[in-house]
Amino acid sequence: MLRGVIAALILASGLLASGANAQGNYPTKPVRVIVPFAVGGPTDLVARVVAAKLTEYLGQQFIVENRPGAGGNIGADMVSKATGDGYTLLMATVSTHSTNPLLYKKISYDPVTGFTPVGQVGNTPIVLVVHPSVPATDLKSLVELLKNNPGKYSYGSSGLGSILHLCGEHFRLLAGGIDYVHVPYRGSAPMMNDLVAGQIPIVFDGTPSALPQIEAKAIRVLATGTQKRARQLPDVPTMAEQGYPAFDCYTWNAIFAPPKTPEAIVTKLNAAIQRLVDDPPTFKKLQEVGIDPTPKQTPAMLEAHVKAELVKWTPVAKATGLELE
Amino acid sequence: MGDLFHNLALGFAVAGTLNNLTYCFIGAMLGTLVGVLPGIGPLATLAMLLPITFQLPPEGALIMLAGIFYGAQYGGSTTSILINVPGESSSVVTALDGHAMAKQGRAGSALAIAAIGSFFAGCVATVAIAVAGPPLASVAQKFGAAEYFSLMVFGLVGAVVLASGSVIKAVAMIILGLLLGLIGLDVTSGQSRFTFGIPELADGIGFVTVSLGLFGIAEIVTNLERASKHGRDLIQPVHSLMPTRQDLRQAWPAILRGTGVGTLLGILPGGGAVLASFSAYTLEKKIAKDPSRFGKGAIEGVAGPESANNAAAQASFIPMLTLGIPSNAVMALMVGAMMIQGITPGPQVMTKQPALFWGIVASMWIGNLMLVIINLPLVGMWIRLLKVPYNMLFPAIIIFCSIGIYSLNNSVTDVLFTAGFGVMGYLFVKLGFEAAPLLLGFVLGPLMEENLRRAMTISRGDPMTFIDRPISLGLLIASLALLALVIAPAVRRTRQEAFQEEET
Repeated sequence: MLRGVIAALILASGLLASGANAQGNYPTKPVRVIVPFAVGGPTDLVARVVAAKLTEYLGQQFIVENRPGAGGNIGADMVSKATGDGYTLLMATVSTHSTNPLLYKKISYDPVTGFTPVGQVGNTPIVLVVHPSVPATDLKSLVELLKNNPGKYSYGSSGLGSILHLCGEHFRLLAGGIDYVHVPYRGSAPMMNDLVAGQIPIVFDGTPSALPQIEAKAIRVLATGTQKRARQLPDVPTMAEQGYPAFDCYTWNAIFAPPKTPEAIVTKLNAAIQRLVDDPPTFKKLQEVGIDPTPKQTPAMLEAHVKAELVKWTPVAKATGLELE
Repeated sequence: MGDLFHNLALGFAVAGTLNNLTYCFIGAMLGTLVGVLPGIGPLATLAMLLPITFQLPPEGALIMLAGIFYGAQYGGSTTSILINVPGESSSVVTALDGHAMAKQGRAGSALAIAAIGSFFAGCVATVAIAVAGPPLASVAQKFGAAEYFSLMVFGLVGAVVLASGSVIKAVAMIILGLLLGLIGLDVTSGQSRFTFGIPELADGIGFVTVSLGLFGIAEIVTNLERASKHGRDLIQPVHSLMPTRQDLRQAWPAILRGTGVGTLLGILPGGGAVLASFSAYTLEKKIAKDPSRFGKGAIEGVAGPESANNAAAQASFIPMLTLGIPSNAVMALMVGAMMIQGITPGPQVMTKQPALFWGIVASMWIGNLMLVIINLPLVGMWIRLLKVPYNMLFPAIIIFCSIGIYSLNNSVTDVLFTAGFGVMGYLFVKLGFEAAPLLLGFVLGPLMEENLRRAMTISRGDPMTFIDRPISLGLLIASLALLALVIAPAVRRTRQEAFQEEET
């Protein structure tokens, strides 16, 4: 009996303490950062750089855990359903929070209400590149070429419903009346292989894998997909500069927490993310793994960003006619 | 040529430092270990070690990670041969004849030949990288969707040869493998196939899940059943640790052929060690004077695939190192490891980072040498594994399998699927169906479909693309010839005579 009472008291005090600590002393135990993609991929690398810094700043281990599958939906769904105590976080991407919710028929999480936004980490520009044999030197000549040869040219992507596919369809919509055929691959590596080999003539790809091939002149870049020119390609005009002002394609990475995560924890995490982005060596490290860090990002800005992305991609997603399961 | 020596001297200077030799040794040792442990593969190991490499210098990090990958090809054969549980997916076919050899008391010979074959193949493939890396990579790029499709057709026809029982059953198993390979989101249409609303099935079933279930778990179950009936007396005592002169004479040509097949398939993106080992086995059986020896302890059935998987593992570095394009998941991880070190993988790594490139190449030679030195004396130790009582060995294997499967995707569903395939594998054993053709169908089917449809999309629906392209045409003609050989009644009669007794 006495033992029971003591046990209950210890348990109660423990609960009280943890309740109070949860916000004040967070984090008091290791934190899991879920990456919804495979180890070694672009999102994983970003997550590892960020987790190492958060560990240093907040004094607890931030452990990267990979939960790949279903285009990132499995990992995102897991975090959306986790307890909002700050000990499970998601390294989200444009796929989990902008395009998948529009393409998958029965998606089990809501990108806006199903998470607590914490902070954006950075963006990666997407560029339009072609095989050197394609007789086009800029966007205008490419559109002309495609219009004069309907159905003759193909463009590759890293898969149906991938951001690279949506870029291709976005371009199709904006250019009006171009008829080129989509060839999906299993990931961007085999796609780049076939582009370099000349098996397919046109692709949209992120800068990390496209830049080395551009430098080696194995492929030719025609335009940058973002509103601003890419830092590594200062001489390459954007799609917007070349007559498509609405075209804005890039991937991004941001940290989200499960719904109902206390504000104090979110504030603390956001401050740590802003701090690591402002730290010059970390800034450079993030650039090396392929993203341009975005400084001074608040949780509110991230929420607005997700909403804007959903609006931007809705017509493109509809135009693909895809209904993935 | 002077350049080559200059470069190699640079490479050996980098790889020969005490630090880098240590990283190379750690990699080779860890690789051997994960190779031996069934279920735990190089990919999961590299994934676990990737964060540690952030603190290392780039050369050391990549030398160690590379060592784990090719080291695993050495260790993978050990459990295949000794207990018929493949340690690595690329050692699945090694179990067919390797374990048969173990049953006859020739385990030591099989293990030694596997190590020697791997060493030879590793050295040759490393020379290929050093001497002809860039040209080989550009040859591999000639392989487009049409060529892949025709190559898969050739492989699938060859798959029938894999079976040592009835042809009908083999065909049935290939088709079942093809069907299992269809599970998941279709790459071309985005339709879900056989996923039953389970999100974990959206990307299909993993090769390791299927192979460990069908081979590993099923083997343990059938063994337990036999052991409870007859006691444990299945394996003859080992009479020699080293291969006999006769073994060596038979194994050499197979090692040479396996090395060739492995190097070629390793360079192709999407090829790799699994396909290479299956192809080498098929080739050995096809050209053997007496194919009936296969499945009953033919040493070529160990030497060919084991050389091929190591050659392929080594050769798969070629597209990554020379073009910066990874051809499989392990190479994708290596690309990640380079990027986090601030090195951009691409066509210019060779010229911009010569110390890194040649350091890795030189470390492969050193690593292979270390591996053969580690592995040959270990043969005697592994043999003792056979003396471990079942009631200790089997739970241990099951635990390692479960950990390995779980670590692939951090998914419990995968573990459950492996258990399911274990049950299926047990039924196959009882009914006299062989799992090897199923696995080949499982690997080839999805690749074949994907490339057929990609080729047709690129050609705008014109099937002539398969005939207009010379490499594709050549492969299709070879497939037809092989098919004719299999169907020819005379051949079939001898096949049946030779294999019928196996079926009981």
